[in-house]
Amino acid sequence: MNGWRTLFPNAWYVTVREFRSRATSRSFVVGTVLLAAIAFAAAQLPVLIDFAQGTSETRVEVFVRASGLPSDALTVVGHVLNGAPAPDSNAHKAYALSWLADGDLASAQSALEQGKFDALLIIDRDASSRDLLFTLRTDMPSDGRQAQTIASATQMLAIEDGLVRAGTSTASVLAPSSFTVLPVSPSGTAAVNSVSQEISSSLLSTGLIVLIFMAIITYGTWVAMSVAEEKSSRVMELMLNATTPLQMLAGKVIGNGAAGLTQYGIILAAVIGGLIAQGPIHQAVLGGSSSGVAFGGLNAPVLGAFAVLFVLGFLLYSLLYAALGSLVSRQEDVQSATSPLMMLIMLGYFMSIFGLQAINDTWVRIVSFVPFFSPYLMLARVSVGRVEIWEFALAVVFLLVSIGIALVVTARIYSAGVLLYGQRVGLRQILTAARVSR
Amino acid sequence: MSLTIDSISKRFSEVQALDDVSLEMSPGEVFGLLGANGAGKTTAMRIVLDILRPDSGTIAWNGKLNTDVPRDTWGYLPEERGLYAKMKVLDQLVFFAKLHGVKPKAAERETRDWLERFRIPEYADRRAEQLSKGNQQKIQFIAAILHDPDVLLMDEPFTGLDPVNAALLKEAFLELRDRGKTLVFSTHQMETVEELCQSIAILDRGRVVVGGAVRDVRRSTGRQVVRLSVDGDPEIAWLASLDGVRVTRRGQDYTEAVVSQGYDPEAVLRAALARNCRLIHFEITDPSLEEIFIEHVGQIDTTERTLAPKAVRA
Repeated sequence: MNGWRTLFPNAWYVTVREFRSRATSRSFVVGTVLLAAIAFAAAQLPVLIDFAQGTSETRVEVFVRASGLPSDALTVVGHVLNGAPAPDSNAHKAYALSWLADGDLASAQSALEQGKFDALLIIDRDASSRDLLFTLRTDMPSDGRQAQTIASATQMLAIEDGLVRAGTSTASVLAPSSFTVLPVSPSGTAAVNSVSQEISSSLLSTGLIVLIFMAIITYGTWVAMSVAEEKSSRVMELMLNATTPLQMLAGKVIGNGAAGLTQYGIILAAVIGGLIAQGPIHQAVLGGSSSGVAFGGLNAPVLGAFAVLFVLGFLLYSLLYAALGSLVSRQEDVQSATSPLMMLIMLGYFMSIFGLQAINDTWVRIVSFVPFFSPYLMLARVSVGRVEIWEFALAVVFLLVSIGIALVVTARIYSAGVLLYGQRVGLRQILTAARVSR
Repeated sequence: MSLTIDSISKRFSEVQALDDVSLEMSPGEVFGLLGANGAGKTTAMRIVLDILRPDSGTIAWNGKLNTDVPRDTWGYLPEERGLYAKMKVLDQLVFFAKLHGVKPKAAERETRDWLERFRIPEYADRRAEQLSKGNQQKIQFIAAILHDPDVLLMDEPFTGLDPVNAALLKEAFLELRDRGKTLVFSTHQMETVEELCQSIAILDRGRVVVGGAVRDVRRSTGRQVVRLSVDGDPEIAWLASLDGVRVTRRGQDYTEAVVSQGYDPEAVLRAALARNCRLIHFEITDPSLEEIFIEHVGQIDTTERTLAPKAVRA
C-alpha cells in the first residue's frame, strides 16, 4: 500500500516544517516567554512567604523578678518558642525575645505601651511554695496561638526550675530521649523512610504526573489543531498528493511534539534556574538563606522512567489527537471533537492521584500496565520506588505495541478523515471511509 | 505511453459519483474534462491520483497501475486552493518540491524561475496570506509543477484569473505540452477548451456522455453553424424563415444559426445575396462545444450535487 512506503525523507521534511511554523509563531514565542517568567517567579514563592513572615515576628520582652532561675532559662524558652536551634542561626525566628534580668518594670511597661513589644512576660517566684509565677501582659488573644505557645514555654521553664530545685541535672529537660524506629519484620532492613522522604517522594510523583498530564493535553491539542488547520486551509489536498498520510501523521506528531517539548524544556529550565537563584535572591532581599527546596526521591531511575513514559505516552495520545483533528473541518471544532480523549486523559490523571494514596492496591498494579494509563500510574509506582524492573519493562512493551496499533488505525482514520469536509462525522462514517480509502 | 482510465466506478453512500468511466489521454496532449457541478470531475482526478480508491476499474500510466507509479509522476492543482497562510512563498514552494524529491538548491532555482515567468518574483519572501487570490493561484500552479511531473491534473485552473494571468497560464500549458507532458484540466470555460484542448470528455452525473478529439466531437452532431453579420441590419429577421435554420444567438457582433442535418448551410449565403444584403461576415463552422455541452447536459444544473469540498466559512 502507498500509505506504507518509506517514511523518509518526507516525514522529516514535514517534521521540520511543523516545528518551524509552530516555534516561530507569535503565540508560541509569547506563551513561552510568559510561562517561563511565571515559572521563574513561582520558584521565588518561598522567599515571598519568608518576606511576609519576616514582618510578623512576635516580640516578647521577658522581665525576671524571680531569683535563682536555671542558668539556661533563656535557651529553654527560646527552644520552645522557636523550635530546636537550626544549624543556620540566621534562619527566620517567629519570636524575638529580649531578656531583662534586671532593670525596672516601669520602663519595660512603657516600652510595651509604646508598641516596641507585642507582649511582656513577667516571671515571679511564690514566696512560700518557691514555684515560678508567670504573668503575660498583651493585647493578643489569651487563647491565641502566641499566648498558648508562650504558656507551653513557661511550663517547660517551670518543670526545669522544679528539677533544679529537686537537685536533678538541668541538661535532662532538653536532652533527647533514646528512641529507635524499626520495621515490622524483625529481619527487615533498618531503611525506614522518614516522613519528609515519604512526603517529598509523593509530592514528586504528583509533580511528575502533572507534568505529563499538562504536556499531553496542551501539546496533543496542538497536533489536533495543526491537522485541522491544514484541512480548513485546504493545503491538505496538495499535501495528499505530495506525501502519504503516514508521512504527514508522523511529521505532525513529531514536529509539534518537539516544539512542545522545547517550550516545556524552556519552562522547566526557568523553574530550575529560579530555584537555584532562590538562595542568592533570599540572601539579597532578606539577608539569610531560605529553607530551600529539596528534590527528595529524584534520582536517575525515576528520571529515566519519567523520560520514557513521557515520550511514549505523548506519542500515543498525540496520534489519537491527530486522528480526531482530521475529522473536523474547522479549528473551532477541535475542542469538541477531542473532548472524549480529554475524558480519557482526565480519568488516567485522577486514577493516578488516587492511586498514589493506595500505591500497593491490586487495582493500581493492574491499571499501571494498561497502555492509556501506564504513563501516569507506572510513573507513580516508580517514583514511590515499589516496582520491579520486569513490571516497568512490561508496561513499556504494552505501550509500544499500542502505539503501533494506534499508528495503523490513526493513519486509516486520518487518510479517510482528511477528505471528509463539512459533514458531522460519526463512527460509522469513519469506519466506512477508513475501509474504502487507501 | 498514455494515461488510461478503464471503466472506473465510485459510489458515495447514495450518490453514484462515477459510473463506468473510461478515458484515454496521450502525452503531449491537453485534455479537457467538462461537466456541470457534481458531474464527477474532482472525484475522477482524486481517483487518478490515488487519493481515493475506485469501487471498480483501474487507472494505468504507461501500462503501470496508478498505485505502483511513483508519486512524483503526478502534479495536482486542487479545485479548493490552499497554501500555508503564514509561510513564505519561497519556503513553501521549496517545501512542496522537496516532498516530491527535488533537491533544495534545484527547488529554489526552479521556484525563482517560475516566479519570474509569472511576473511575481518580488513575492518570494512574502507570506502567502499577503497575496491576492489570483497570485495565490499562480503559486499553487507552480507548486503543482516544480517537480516536473509527467501528468498534470488541474481542477478549474482558470477560475478567478484575470485575462493577463490566464494568458500567462495558457502559455505555460502549451510549453509543458510541447515538452511532452500530459495535461488534464477541468473547466466551465468552453472557449478555453476550444483554444487549448486536443481532446475532451463531457461528464454528466458520473457518466461520459461525449468524448474524443475536439474536432470529432464538434462534427459528431452532423449539424453545421453559420455566423453572419449584415451591415445595417443587426436583427437579420429573415434568417429564421429559412428551412432547417434555427437562430441560436443574436448578438451585436454577429448572429448565429444552426443548420439541421440534410440542409445546405450555403443556402443561407445564397438567401442573403438574393436579398441584396451587404454581408460583413459569413462563416460556416461546426457547433461550439458550449452548444454540444448544453445539448448533452441540458441546462446547467443548479441543484447542488457536488461531492468536492465546499469552502468553509471561517
